[in-house]
Formats: sequence, C-alpha cells, structure tokens
Amino acid sequence: MMQRVQLQLTLLFLGCLLSFQSLAAVKIQSWQTSQGAKVMFVAAPELPMMDMRVAFDAGSARDGEKWGLASMTAALIGSATATRNENQISDGFNRLGSEFSQQAGRDSADFSLRCLSREDIRKQALAQFSEVLGKARFDDKILQRERSRWLAMLKQKNSQPQVLASDLLWKTLYGDHPYAHSSDGTMQTVETIKQADLQAFYQRYYTASNAVISLVGDLDRKQAERIAEQLAQALPQGTKPKALPPVEEMKNPQTLMREFPSTQTYILNAQKGIKRGDPDYVALFVANEAFGGGGFGSYLMDEVREKRGLAYSVYSYFAPMKLAGPFTIGLSTKNASAKQAQEVVDHSLHTFVATLNEERLQEIKDNLIGGFPLRMDSNAKLVAYISMIGFYGLPLDYLQWFPQQVEKLSLQQVIDAWKKHIGKSPMLRVMVGEPK
Amino acid sequence: MFKASSRKFALSIFAMLACGFFSLSAQAKLSEFTLQNGLKIVVKEDHRAPVVVHQVWYRVGSNYEPNGITGISHMLEHMMFKGTAKLKPGEFSKLVARMGGEENAFTTNDYTVYYQVVGKQHLEDVMRLEADRMRNLQLDAKEFATERQVVTEEWRWRVQDRPESKLYQAFKAMAFVNSPEHHPVIGWKSDIDSWSLDDLKSWYQRWYAPNNATLVVVGDVDTDHVLNLAKRYYGPAKAESIEELKPQVEQAQLGERRLKMKGATQLPNLLIGVHVPTLKSAENAQQRQEVYALSLLNDLIDGDDSSILTKELVRKQKSVVSASSYYDPTEKLSSLFTFEATPSSGFSSEEVEKRFWEMIKQLQDKPVSEAALQRVMAQTEANYVYRQDSMRGQAMLLGSLVSVGLPLDTIDHWLLNLRKVTPQQIQAVAKKYFDPEKATVAILLPNGEKPTSAQQMSLQTKGVH
Repeated sequence: MMQRVQLQLTLLFLGCLLSFQSLAAVKIQSWQTSQGAKVMFVAAPELPMMDMRVAFDAGSARDGEKWGLASMTAALIGSATATRNENQISDGFNRLGSEFSQQAGRDSADFSLRCLSREDIRKQALAQFSEVLGKARFDDKILQRERSRWLAMLKQKNSQPQVLASDLLWKTLYGDHPYAHSSDGTMQTVETIKQADLQAFYQRYYTASNAVISLVGDLDRKQAERIAEQLAQALPQGTKPKALPPVEEMKNPQTLMREFPSTQTYILNAQKGIKRGDPDYVALFVANEAFGGGGFGSYLMDEVREKRGLAYSVYSYFAPMKLAGPFTIGLSTKNASAKQAQEVVDHSLHTFVATLNEERLQEIKDNLIGGFPLRMDSNAKLVAYISMIGFYGLPLDYLQWFPQQVEKLSLQQVIDAWKKHIGKSPMLRVMVGEPK
Repeated sequence: MFKASSRKFALSIFAMLACGFFSLSAQAKLSEFTLQNGLKIVVKEDHRAPVVVHQVWYRVGSNYEPNGITGISHMLEHMMFKGTAKLKPGEFSKLVARMGGEENAFTTNDYTVYYQVVGKQHLEDVMRLEADRMRNLQLDAKEFATERQVVTEEWRWRVQDRPESKLYQAFKAMAFVNSPEHHPVIGWKSDIDSWSLDDLKSWYQRWYAPNNATLVVVGDVDTDHVLNLAKRYYGPAKAESIEELKPQVEQAQLGERRLKMKGATQLPNLLIGVHVPTLKSAENAQQRQEVYALSLLNDLIDGDDSSILTKELVRKQKSVVSASSYYDPTEKLSSLFTFEATPSSGFSSEEVEKRFWEMIKQLQDKPVSEAALQRVMAQTEANYVYRQDSMRGQAMLLGSLVSVGLPLDTIDHWLLNLRKVTPQQIQAVAKKYFDPEKATVAILLPNGEKPTSAQQMSLQTKGVH
C-alpha cells in the first residue's frame, strides 16, 4: 500500500501515549484477586467477544546479563505445558477460533487472548490460556530451534539501518542501565541462554502479585471476577520485583555516525524524556503534538517535508516508561541531504517555542479533545489502554482526567514544560548511512 | 493492496472478506445508493461509539497506468492535499486535525482511497472538504516539484534500501508480462523522474469524477441523513466519460521463470508464485468455486500456527526461519498464489523450494483432513465477529469490493460458499494450479558484504543550540 505517509510507527506510539476518552460511559473497574493480582475491567456488551491481556513486570529490563532472556521466555510460553505439547496448544486455541499472542518489551511481557464470549468457547479458551501461563514448560529442543530462528533475525538486523540506528540510540543514551540493550538481546547473549535460565526467570517473574489482568468484553462483573480469579489461581503468588536502578543522563551531547551502504541516511535524535505519571506529561504531550507528534501540520513536518521535500516521514515522540523513556526525533533522507536535514531539525528545535501561540495551542487542544472518541472506539484499543493504566499504576479516572488537563493548560504552562525538559538534557544524534 | 511495499505487510482482502460477513448480513444496517451523477454510496450504521469513518474510493491505481507514467496515481494521491480553489496547500489536513480527526490516503493497484475518521458531528464538514477536491484540485508546479522529491524519498525508503522489496518488484515484473500487475504501485524510478504537471492534470481530469468513485460511510450515523448530505455535497459534481479498463488478461505462462539476485541482506529470501483465478477473473461458476477452494488452501497452508508451514517447515523440518503464503481472491485483473520463505542456515533456497513442492505434492495426493478444515472454518466464523470491532476495517472491506466491481453480497455468500468446499475440491485446485513448470521463482542471496563493525566514529561533540 502506498500511503501518503507511513504512520505505522507514529501511530503505534500514539497508541501507547494517548490515553484518554471522552465517553463518561467507559467505566473502568478494578480490584485484586485473592492471589494479589490487579484486575482492570470494562464491560462492553455490544459484541459477543472478549479480549484479555495479562501484563507481567517481566520485560527486558529484567534480563540481567542474559540479554534477550525476557523475550525468549515470553516467546516460549505457549510452546509446552505440563500436559500439552506445542501442536496441541496451537490446535487448542485455533480450533476455537481464539487468538493467543505474546510480546515482551523493556518494561513488560504481555499475553493476549481474544475469543468469542459464548460460554462453551470462553471456558475452553480460558482454561488453556491459564494453563499456558501458569504451567509453562521449557522444552530444550524447542529452545534450540527458536534460538536459531532468533539468531537469524538478529543477523538480519545488520541489514536494517533503521533498526541499527535505534539500537545505537538506546545503547548510547542509557549506558549501563537495563534499558540500554534491545529486548531482542545480541547474538552473543542469546547464545548463552539455557533452559534453566528460562525456568528461573519464569518462576521469578510470572507470578500473581507481578501481574495485571485486563478484561474488555461481553461479560458482567461476576463473570470477570471469576475469570480473573481462575487465571490468578494458576499462578504462584510470588512477590513484586525490586525497583529498577535510576536512569542517569548521558554526560555530553554526542553525534554518532555509522557507515551503512544505503541510499538514505537514517537519522535519530534523542534525549532523556520522562516517565509515566510525570506531572509535566500532559503539557509535554501537547507541545510535542505541535512540534512533531501531530503528523501533517506539525512544525517538523512543515519544515522538513512540506517546505523542503527532504523526507517522506519525520516525527517526534515521548515514550514514557516505568522510568524516563527517551524523547526521540526521527527521519530518513537521501545521503546528500543528511546534513541539511539535521540542520533543519536543529533549527526547528531552536525556533519551535517561538512558533507557539494561543491559536496554535487551541488547534492542538481541539484536535486532542475532539479526537478522544476515536482513540477508544474498539475493544482492542480499550484493552490496551486499561492494561497500560493498570500496569503503570495510573488513576482509574485517567481517561477522563487527561482531556480535562489538556483543556486547562495555558500557553505559558506548555512552553515552560517544553523548556524545562527539551534542550536541558544532552542531545544524542545518530546517523546511519553514508551522509554527505 | 499493499502491493508496492513488501508483501510482509500484506493484508489479504480475503481476511477482510471473511471477517465482514456477520456484521453485514445479520446485525447492522447496510445500504447502497447511486446518485444521478453516478457516485456510488455505501452506508453502514454502527452505533458503538460516536465516531464516523468517511472514505472516497476512486477506481484508479497502478493497474490503470500505461508505461512511461507508472506511479502517477500514487503521485496524484500526494498532490490531493495541495489545495483547491478554496483551500491552501496543507489546509485540508489542518482543518481535519482541528476537528480531532484522523485522515490519510493510500493507493493500490486497483484503487486510490481518501479517508477521515471524525466525531460524528463533523461528517458534514469532511464531506464538504472531500467533495471540493473531487473536481477542484489546483495543481501547482512548485508544489509538484517538492512533492516529487518527497515521493522519491519514499521510493528510496520503501524500495531502494530494502533488498526484499526489490526482489518482490522483480518477481512481480517477471510473473506478469502483459498485465499491468507487472509494474509497481510506486512506479519505476525513471517514470517517477519523468512525470510532467500536464500528465498529472490529465490523470486527475480523467479519473476523478463522481461516476468513477464510491463514497463509504460507516459509523454512528442515520442512513437517510448521510444520503441527504451526500446529495448536497457530491450531487453537484459533474460526471466524466470514464473508459473501462481494458482486460489485459495475462497470457498463459509457458514455462518456469527464474531470477536470482544478490543484495545487501544477511539472509536469503525465496519467492514462488503460480497464477490462479480470482472472483473477478473467474470465467464461470465452476472456476468461482475454485476460488473458494484456493482460499481455504491458503488458510490451511498459512492461516495460523497450526498451519502446514508452521507445523512442517518451521517446527518439524526446521528448514525455514519464517515462511508465509499469500492469495487475494478479490483482485480485479489477476492474482498470484505466492509463497515466501527465509531458509534456515544449512538449507539452501533451492532446498526450501524442493520442500515447498513436496508439501504441495502431499496436498495433491491426499485430501486434507476434516479436522483441519473445521479448524479453519471455526476461525473464519469467529473472525466475522472480531471484524466488527473495527469500523475502519469494515469500511475498507466494503469500499474494496465495490471498487473492483464485486457485489456487496459477495460477503453474505462468502461463508456459505466456503462451507460448500470439500477436501476433494481443495485437492483438485492443488493439482490444477500448482505446477513447478508454470511457476515463477525469485531468490535473493546475500551479496557477501560483511556487516559494518559496531564501532562508531564520533564526528563532533557539541551542544544543542
């Protein structure tokens, strides 16, 4: 599909960042199971289906020395249990028309189940989901096979300049911090992962007290309680893991260049951003919409693409995490324009605040507040939001609170927040390609 | 769709078809109209959220383009945001943003689509804007020059720096000789460099008219109200005389076609394609029934992680790092059943090619099990429900069917037709269409360049200013 602009990346991030809802009707209920798992629930009776997501504080920030361990553990959950083998598990979900998937990032490992809410289907799907999460087995043969597929993927990363740029960014910005390495690990570290490592990681982190269970669908509160209870009962009670070490800032600004035989140079600029729950988040979010988060009409898009034709896609975003995630600017341009494009980015950062005025702020507010219903118009989106709210411990009225805060912001507050964060921390510039 | 980019992004229309049935037949109000000026209108009410999806689909895309100006439909799509008599360049997007809307556009081989998703109170506003640029676009030389640069950057990003995209373009060009499926949606680079402003103006004049378009509205709306608005805003647009696209039926393939190329990749990549019919290209009822059998065959090969590719090639043989198959039964002109794989280390592309044909041989020799068929049908039926969770997805399905000239009740009949397919029919299409001597094979091999070392040079160290 040829699209006017590739929004996949930015939308993905927006999906995680935008977290609001204008409909007072969306009511989040929350409680704890007897095992201590946190539950988030929204009743959505319109369609005969349910979505469930279980998030564990078991992302790659918990890898320790064995980078890739969290991702490999998550990937192998669903490949064997005490009583079922790999094909039996696949067939078990598929013959019900249910969908099981898993993914690990830096903060969390997430497991999703989508199925029809009809009782016979739901009960079977849920029983298997609970077994897969609670009675996971790590078969050494499957580990060997998945490791070699994993290594092939890691090898292929070396031919993907965008991925190289991103890995380099995190590594440089985060230094010794557990956020510094990619969740994929490296070829060297993935080689060292053993069956016993997976088992130990699983036992340590896949526990009820380390889980947030989210449910959206055609269920009443009683049914949701039973489902959550059943799932949590399948997990050991466990304890919460220790807090991650604090993020240290990069000491000095840096510009890194990595030669790569591509016709474009892939440019990323980044600095330390903010964490989830930061009091400046709403103001920064609004400011970034004007800067490079809002797609067409944003300052970066106007300067880089619309005025100069330098790039197809250019964007910026904050990625708030458990701890401060980065603030990132990205674009790709032909090698001969790389230097010019970087200058335009520098200049845009420099002049941005002066472009903000009451009218521009009102445009952004109209966009964000008017667009709330769109962010919450499906069960799939809703389950992602409530899982995020539960996992990061945000208040239950977050979806109502966020747009109210947007509405209240003054121009001065937006400018102050931007100035407080952007440009204060050292900026990292990464270029991968053959910039001229 | 998604043709020009890597097939890895491929989203089969089949999946959409499969998913639409339930919502469209039983549960929601679906209506179809045609205005006097020829504009087709499809409205589906969905009252779950106070949101509306508004789309205009033009029946033009890369399949309509002659050599020399390939990619021009996509270029025109970019230029549609550059202003009308009433709007300045970029103003369209800014106005929709101010409404809190999402908006974008995309081009495929068969159609070009513009869409907005807005709060329902803004339906009239986006309709006014979209109707304005249907006939009143201003094409300016300076904007055109800048946007050509943007599209060229897009081409570098999508194609030139991705060996697998280049392989796929070469593969398609080899598989299709006289069909316009031969050329990529983004166009050949030489054509991208050579479009003139006049080319663009006449392309716009020729295809952007109400009688070559479909309006799709899905959301929290009242159908009569939508129809009244459409009459008011799109009604005055003047019809053009639109030529039918020539059939350009792909000539029968006479023998195997094969390409081996090297590129800046670390892993090899293999593509195998065979020509198969689609609902549009099928010549009779019997061949249409074969299309349903081919769809199920595709699902059995690669519908889920119980499929043959996962169980046999990935898990049992360990011959591939990844593999997938692709078939779109709603293509307008013609279609390829395509198999794609990344061989595991220790397996050559030729070896994986052999494994693919062994898998096909088994499907030719023995009917698939009832259990496997039931599993695939259970998923298809569940997907009907899941699909209703997305208004955008529902609108996409409706618009794509109308745009390739398939009736909307294709969806209603889809599940029924799938249910009629027997294991013997699946076996029969496997025998009829999968012939290694009529296949197109493309192989990408690493060019041997070592990945650059992970060390970076530090060019400069200076503060942010």
